[in-house]
Amino acid sequence: MSTPLLSVRDLHVSFKTEDGVVRAVDGLSFDLERGRTLGIVGESGSGKSVTNLTVLGLHNPMFTTVEGEILLDGRELTTARESELEKLRGNKVAMIFQDPLTALSPYYTVGRQIAEPYMKHNGASKKDAWERAVEMLGKVGIPNPRQRAKDYPHQFSGGMRQRAMIAMALVCDPDLLIADEPTTALDVTVQAQILDLLKDLQQEFGSGIIFITHDLGVIADMADDIMVMYAGGAVERGTTEEVLRSPQHPYTWGLLNSMPRLDSDPGAQLSPIPGTPPSLLNPPSGCRFHPRCTFQDRVAGTGRCTTERPAIGSGRASACHLSADQKRTIFIEEIKPRLG
Amino acid sequence: MSRGGRQAYGALSVLAAGALVLTGCSKGGSDAGDNSKRDQQNAKRQQAAIKFGDAADSTGPASPVPGAKPGGSMEVLQRDSYAHLDPGQIYVNDEMTVSQLIHRGLTGYKATSDDGKQHEVVGDLATDSGTTTDGGKTWKYTLKDGIKFEDGTPITSKDVRQTFERLFAPFINQGPTYIQQWLADTSGTGYRKLLPDGPYKGKHLPDGVLSTPDDKTVVFHFKKPHPDLPYALAMAGYSIVSAKGDTKEKYDKTPVTTGPYKVQTFQSGKSMVLVKNPNWDPKTDPIRHQYVDRFNITFNQQFEASTKALLADSGPDQAGVSFNNQVDAGNLSQVLRDPKLKSRTVSGYQSYVGQMNLNMSKPEMKDIRVRRAIAYALPVTPFVRAYGGTDAMEVAGGLISPTVSGYDPAFDPFGKKKKPAGDPAKAHALLKEAGKLNMKLTFGYINTPEGQQYSTAMAAGLKKAGFNVQRQEIPAETFYDQVSKLNNPYDIFHTAWGADWPSASTVMPPLYDGRQIADGASVYSQINDAHVNSEIDRINTITDPVKSAAEWEKLDKYLLTKVVNEVPTAYYKQTQIAGSKVGGLVFDDVIGGVDPRRLYIK
Amino acid sequence: MLRFLVRRIIGAVVILFLLSIVTFVLFFGVPRDPALLMCGKTCNPDSIANIHHVLGLDKPITEQYWIFLHNLVAGSSQFAQGPCPAPCFGYSYHTNDPVWNTLMDRLPTTVSLTLGAAVCFLIVGLGTGLLAAWRRGTMVDKTATAGAMVVSSLQIYFLGPLALAILVYQTHWFDKPAYNNFTGDPLTWFTGLIIPWVVLSTIFAAQYTRMARSAMIEQLQEEHVRTARAKGMSRQYVFFRYAWRGSLIPIVTIFGIDLGSLLGGAIITEYTFGLPGLGQLAVQSVFFSDLPLLLGVMLFAATMILLFNIVVDAAYAFIDPRVRLS
Repeated sequence: MSTPLLSVRDLHVSFKTEDGVVRAVDGLSFDLERGRTLGIVGESGSGKSVTNLTVLGLHNPMFTTVEGEILLDGRELTTARESELEKLRGNKVAMIFQDPLTALSPYYTVGRQIAEPYMKHNGASKKDAWERAVEMLGKVGIPNPRQRAKDYPHQFSGGMRQRAMIAMALVCDPDLLIADEPTTALDVTVQAQILDLLKDLQQEFGSGIIFITHDLGVIADMADDIMVMYAGGAVERGTTEEVLRSPQHPYTWGLLNSMPRLDSDPGAQLSPIPGTPPSLLNPPSGCRFHPRCTFQDRVAGTGRCTTERPAIGSGRASACHLSADQKRTIFIEEIKPRLG
Repeated sequence: MSRGGRQAYGALSVLAAGALVLTGCSKGGSDAGDNSKRDQQNAKRQQAAIKFGDAADSTGPASPVPGAKPGGSMEVLQRDSYAHLDPGQIYVNDEMTVSQLIHRGLTGYKATSDDGKQHEVVGDLATDSGTTTDGGKTWKYTLKDGIKFEDGTPITSKDVRQTFERLFAPFINQGPTYIQQWLADTSGTGYRKLLPDGPYKGKHLPDGVLSTPDDKTVVFHFKKPHPDLPYALAMAGYSIVSAKGDTKEKYDKTPVTTGPYKVQTFQSGKSMVLVKNPNWDPKTDPIRHQYVDRFNITFNQQFEASTKALLADSGPDQAGVSFNNQVDAGNLSQVLRDPKLKSRTVSGYQSYVGQMNLNMSKPEMKDIRVRRAIAYALPVTPFVRAYGGTDAMEVAGGLISPTVSGYDPAFDPFGKKKKPAGDPAKAHALLKEAGKLNMKLTFGYINTPEGQQYSTAMAAGLKKAGFNVQRQEIPAETFYDQVSKLNNPYDIFHTAWGADWPSASTVMPPLYDGRQIADGASVYSQINDAHVNSEIDRINTITDPVKSAAEWEKLDKYLLTKVVNEVPTAYYKQTQIAGSKVGGLVFDDVIGGVDPRRLYIK
Repeated sequence: MLRFLVRRIIGAVVILFLLSIVTFVLFFGVPRDPALLMCGKTCNPDSIANIHHVLGLDKPITEQYWIFLHNLVAGSSQFAQGPCPAPCFGYSYHTNDPVWNTLMDRLPTTVSLTLGAAVCFLIVGLGTGLLAAWRRGTMVDKTATAGAMVVSSLQIYFLGPLALAILVYQTHWFDKPAYNNFTGDPLTWFTGLIIPWVVLSTIFAAQYTRMARSAMIEQLQEEHVRTARAKGMSRQYVFFRYAWRGSLIPIVTIFGIDLGSLLGGAIITEYTFGLPGLGQLAVQSVFFSDLPLLLGVMLFAATMILLFNIVVDAAYAFIDPRVRLS
């Protein structure tokens, strides 16, 4: 087996703030293979976006400390020089942001913004880059792309802006595409179109995709693998099938529980996870999830959850002190019936 | 009012060519803080009298300034631009000073000493200071030979007639009105009815008022004696205007000059250049010199800026001077105490007297014991201090300035020279006697920084004596409007007044003649005392200036001891500085500042 | 765009019209009478009435206002001092100069002062601000920020005399401030204005440093700037193309206001350095209750401010396509 496209090893990211040090990512490891899609799920503040900005080196070096390894095609990124990172960004690694309205510059035409990285990374002429931008706009399904390339982002609809954003991300045919909640700001029908587009384009370009979302429904549709993050670390990982069919972590159960489903009984109660996400300034001891976990009393050995941080292995794994049997039986007997 | 406060406070602060007068005030402020020495010097002023010069005194040329040499350009730093160059509109200090260089009148003040302290009134364009045979009702003047306007036209009696007749036209409204009133024998502006359109619609003053029998002769006919005419004619406001060149309103910008200099360029608000007038003949002029080739006047130089520039003494400012800017309060004591600067500074009195007016129209002020109590209680130290200390202000005794005949240095009715901080004990006793302890006293003060400062301390002094003082602020811009209103709410307020010529006849009547009381009039204390009114009429007819000075002095004493409508606070002083290459720097008591006519470049 | 401009210009004219009415009403509302300032020591009701008549102040206020408007639009030959072509503000009460000529005469001083200072403070202020933003958090940034903070709290009436004392009178390094016509002698024009420029622009430069720095830092945190970085665009490129473009809006807004009000008269600077500009004229007109001059200066200053407001709005359209195309 060849090296993974992206390999993150024991990543720690912390920021200095006025109130203290925020441990945004705390010992995270994962791999992404070429052509596959990894869905990262978690609440806001779970560290999913930070992880990906760190991959691109877009954190502010003045205030941020990064430890661990990020290997792209076997190349270490955490220690890479800014100029090297610049060559990777938009070229081998591209990113799609959540809100295309604010993520696109209001001052330049859509065409120019798409052409810019192409000129920079491929040394293309202005004219060639422009042609490429028009071509990309066509590919992402913008009608009359030659005309629309001259428009400014505010002249586009929300869905079209996100298509333009995707065009911009893919213009240099990146190996890795990081999509950070790319559909959250869009309405549902447009959301479906964008997801389809991404899938189609992945087919065509063969990129690996990291798909960040808090929406398990979207991820079920998009991802090959899933990593659930909580308070700066992974709590569960596996294939989409595995994680969604038989989730093993109380937090994942909570997520599933709190998610409305189109096919469920309209009168059914949603049960949100009790409590609030932990402060990363001062994270809970032991298992980060224990203050919100309703299953900790079932763990063998008193107080383990509050003192010992459960490890997570590679492959199909979850970070919980419950035994494998307990996880299975609790899910089948107590969680699944409620999911309907 | 602040000195030379023309900018903010307008024409009421107009300080006329103050004072004639004699020996006195030593140069350079060496007398600062020494009251008794100064009093002795001032006393000397009193002993000399003003001479009205004869034909011999009035013959040019002026005796040369020792060491003077001709040539060069002099830089003149001035704060305010000249609003008027038409003599008929000139009544403020700055314009009167520059008039000395460009305009001439029938009479003028000739310095008879090189220190600017001794003067006599002589004929300027006229052959003498005027002759009268009937005690000042009829005055005859004869014009000199060889006198010309800058355009070369000879000056004749026709021009003199034009000069006086145009003063009756409506557009002339800012200059002095003494002679117009005397000619029409009326007070106020009733004189305009005599010739409502001036000379411009074919009408003229009848021969019974002003006669010009030939080209050289001018005769003034008054109904009442006006012995002060030679003084009045010496005012810049009565300088001669060209009949041929009279462009009415436009004359203000393009006057036809008669003095040793003419206006080459004048950019209102920016600069003015004066150059030699070739048609001025020194042989006709007993008063002026023409040493400097050119005066480059720059306006908008604040006191602080001009002081610093002249102190720095570099470049063209070495030949720099200011006709009217004083050394600013901040630099004053340093300048006066630096021996190196002694030859570059001059000091002297202005004709202003500061006085606290006691509003006689207020019922609670009717009791003279109350007024006396205020007079004794009022501290004058705060006032002196607010304006820069004893270098800028001298504690006053009477209402007549040291620059005016009739000044008595020994007169100190309220003991202010000994107790400038007031005598609260005595005041308290007086007030108790009157049964008015804790009476309310409304003190209207001008809201300048100085006004804020001295009024607070003055109020504290009055409080100590048992007054319940209410300070009320009056905006500086409208101060004089407010306090000259008949029904103003103030019991006491401070004003200053300067003489137009060195006789109290330009002080006492406008300030204390109760018959003049009206909205906007200058009888601020609203005094209306039968004795004062009749004395004013009587003294005004005395032809001997020495005698009349003595009578004014008596009236001053009557006012302050029997009426007590004012509390004199201070006599105003002024210090000026020039660059090191400026020669002939003299503080002229009549001009009340640097004499521009004597200046030369070393 | 054209319609927008026309609309704005009409709006400005309406504002000027209203302002002239307000000035008129205020002038007659305050207890100050120009006649009192003019009538000398011999003030009495008759002489005041005479001056009122000469100045036309005895006419009803509405008639005076009508005459003012009429003269402004059509000019007048009624003035004794001479003809007064449109735009005629009349003749100053105090100096008897035609107000329009006075304004035009003073304008070059104020324009020279303002534009010269503007060039200085834009270059220095924006330069320092950009440098501080670029080096955010470093000593350079901290020094610039602290320096700008201190300097911008200074006042011209403090800094002006200080600069004069040190740079002119003590060391003689610079000429005494004075205004000389550019056309007459460009060199003395320049040397005479150096100190006023330096003083005026120092304080403004400090303000622009702070403004540019904070605007840039704010822009650098914008998502579209992050996007540009994520595309691999270099830091310089993103800084100058993306962040700078967005920072221009607040900067241009403030610059327009500053320039407009400075062109209406840099009162304190002109006063401090004795420069005969419009600011001095404004002070003078108030001191002397000089209505024609007051109206002239007020309306001229207001015109400048309104004009630059329109220019700023037009500039938005160049900077921001969202404004241009909406």
